Amino acid sequence: MFAYAVRRVLATIPVMAIVALFVFSLLYIAPGDPAAVIAGDQATPQDVERIRASLGLDRPFLVRFGEWVWNILNGDMGVSIFTNLPVTTMIQQRIEPTVSLMVLTLCLAVSIAVPMGVIAAWKQGSWIDRAVMGFAVLGFSVPVFVVGYVLAYIFALELDWLPVQGYTKFEEGFFPWLENLILPSIALGGVYIALIARITRATMLEVLQQDYIRTARAKGAGQRNILFLHALKNAAVPIVTVIGIGIALLIGGAVVTESVFAIPGLGRLTVDAILRRDYPVIQGVVLLFSFVYVLVNLVIDLAYTLFDPRIRY
Amino acid sequence: MDRRSFLKGTGAAGLVGVSSGLAGPALSQGAAARTLRFVPQANLANFDPIWGTQYVVRNAAAMVWDTLYGFDDTLTPKRQMVEAEQVSADGLTWDFRLRPGLKFHDGTPVLAKDVVASLTRWSARDPMGLMVKALQNELVAVDDRNFRWVLKKPYPKLLMALGKNSTPMCFMMPERLAKTDPFQQVSEFIGSGPMRFKRDEWNPGARAVFEKFADYVPREEPNSWLSGGKRMAVERIEWLVMPDPATAAAALQNGEVDWWENPITDLVPQLRRNRNIRVDIADPLGNIGTFRMNHTTKPFNNVKARRAVLTALSQEDYMRALVGDDDKLWKPLPGYFTPGTPLYTEEGGEILKGPRNFEAAKKLLAESGYDGSPVTCVVAQDQPITKAQGDVTADLLKRIGFNVDFVATDWGTTGQRRAMKNPVGQGGWSMFHSWHAGADCINPAVYNAIRASGDGAWFGWPNIPAVETEVANWFDAPDLAAEKAVIARLNKAALDNVVYAPTGFFLGYQAWRANVSGIAKGPLPFFWGVSKS
Repeated sequence: MFAYAVRRVLATIPVMAIVALFVFSLLYIAPGDPAAVIAGDQATPQDVERIRASLGLDRPFLVRFGEWVWNILNGDMGVSIFTNLPVTTMIQQRIEPTVSLMVLTLCLAVSIAVPMGVIAAWKQGSWIDRAVMGFAVLGFSVPVFVVGYVLAYIFALELDWLPVQGYTKFEEGFFPWLENLILPSIALGGVYIALIARITRATMLEVLQQDYIRTARAKGAGQRNILFLHALKNAAVPIVTVIGIGIALLIGGAVVTESVFAIPGLGRLTVDAILRRDYPVIQGVVLLFSFVYVLVNLVIDLAYTLFDPRIRY
Repeated sequence: MDRRSFLKGTGAAGLVGVSSGLAGPALSQGAAARTLRFVPQANLANFDPIWGTQYVVRNAAAMVWDTLYGFDDTLTPKRQMVEAEQVSADGLTWDFRLRPGLKFHDGTPVLAKDVVASLTRWSARDPMGLMVKALQNELVAVDDRNFRWVLKKPYPKLLMALGKNSTPMCFMMPERLAKTDPFQQVSEFIGSGPMRFKRDEWNPGARAVFEKFADYVPREEPNSWLSGGKRMAVERIEWLVMPDPATAAAALQNGEVDWWENPITDLVPQLRRNRNIRVDIADPLGNIGTFRMNHTTKPFNNVKARRAVLTALSQEDYMRALVGDDDKLWKPLPGYFTPGTPLYTEEGGEILKGPRNFEAAKKLLAESGYDGSPVTCVVAQDQPITKAQGDVTADLLKRIGFNVDFVATDWGTTGQRRAMKNPVGQGGWSMFHSWHAGADCINPAVYNAIRASGDGAWFGWPNIPAVETEVANWFDAPDLAAEKAVIARLNKAALDNVVYAPTGFFLGYQAWRANVSGIAKGPLPFFWGVSKS
């Protein structure tokens, strides 16, 4: 398995190279001009042109791309056009809130959605099943920002239990950290819970029809054991796959959630950079997200071996 | 150790751990009263006020960098870092003396050589600065506190140039920073203003922090806008960037922030209902809504087509789209200069007054020889002001008989596209929407958008010699009466030839917690004198 993992890690190199070329080309051909944003609305066309030249944006595509790739290979993601700060510094400033939000959402979603799906499958056709499926439809249908506003209105403005916005670093205390993340995690987790609950239910229904489940029942195994030991473990592969795929959902959702709850994370950094055309930051963040996604897929592939002994690499 | 004492010990340790984890409010009550939390209009993404001229940069910079002169609330430049000045009888030699005891945030004294370097950098970017530079014979530091500016021709508006609040403002930096190319960012943010910038706490896009500068020596006079004693009543100011207005409104209501620079009109009724919140006009100089037509391409290279648009344009439609039903927030503007300021005039404004005449507009359009080719109307959708105006314009143009090619885009793309002089259909454009701060429209010196010098003019490149003649006359006008006469002629020439289309004058609100006092109305948020109980 170690050799397989190494091969997969090596395989990320061409993937990342293609992503890099794609992102750079896309930004090159996309309209927009950071020099115009920097110069301000009162600037003359000559001012804008001089700023563009000073930023090196007037150089040919291949020169700029070659320089960027060379810097990346040397571990340098460049410097933000606007803040003059290294992109790595900006990512470091923003990574903790986003990782915190995603981890908490993931924990929350898995711990709620998997039991929900299992119980819905167990009680197929009952009101519990219908309630779970109804919740799943809602989770898919209601946009993250609507859930965010409603939660903020109820729990922050009306009840005054939680803050509306912001982020407290983990090192400043677990509860202040948690306090700022509860509402965003619930808002972001809705769609994720819905996705996992549905797939868990569907997979469990299939597994519960299998002969070995009937055998377990015939042997007098308890319902809990049947559901969580025999059935869930065998249903785990598709569930884990969906959890992994859902990371992309979380990345996308984090952009909206971080804006609604004013969390200074990577999502907001990405949006701000796109609106300003801060090319080095956009390129850096997209590369990072791509790398994380590739890595998550690798971890999921490796995790299959834990749930299904027939899978060998 | 027995089991009971072990449990006691671990229990106590656990409690300490939990309580430290629980951590009380981040700020004690005293510290909270000394910290002002402010939601700015936009993200402070860079912090060189000469390199980047966005208003948000200017607003933050006004705390950190001081100026030689500053406008008061009558738009009169008053001494700030300067102790005294003297101008020779021929108006060519200006001698300035700095106040004693001025220090930069790194502890070094502010010297005349710093001022000379700062003026040199500023004058390479600022429209008024460029004019002074063109007249400059010599700019030298005489000694540590005195500097001299010798001109080839008198420039009566010099103090206005040094004290104005339009961007880029004339901020003073240490010489080593001011020697940076004006088209590149400075590497440090060291000023001599009443607040220091905490670069170590700067998280662009999220937070910027300013700390009171203990060695700042305010002037004795009471403060008024950018003039007088800039006395800080708080120790620390935190700028918290909130891209979502609903979040900012909720944070203000919840007491998580103290002052919000620009609440959107839709949320103001909700804020007014909260007894802990005060809402008032932010800037009495307001804003002028605009759209600019491209004078170099068809159909708007013909003045009749431009006048056709103005003949049918209803400013009320635009203003209601922008501010809704709140009549306190807008007024018609049959002219180009900011209402309520000394040079405001309606000379030549008849075309924008009275009932709108679509028949006359259609006739003018026909006379212009318009052939039905598409009019590319560029509208940034990510700016509420441009989006609302763009929707009204599209309807207006269609009703007159234009074939509208509506380009919905974002502000970044608009900024790039408006600089293109290509024909329509090859990346060019026919019109784009924007707005100007009223403070930038008080006179021709600070008003790029009114200039009509062809290729050197602002986007749209109007070439109207009559306008430029009056601009030159204004610079030479000896007194206010003469200035007013010139501006009346300028306004008429600009409207007759439609330099651009003014869509009306509108104001915006600001909101703050009731425990905050000292907030002034002005073209930028002034933090001196603001306190919190």
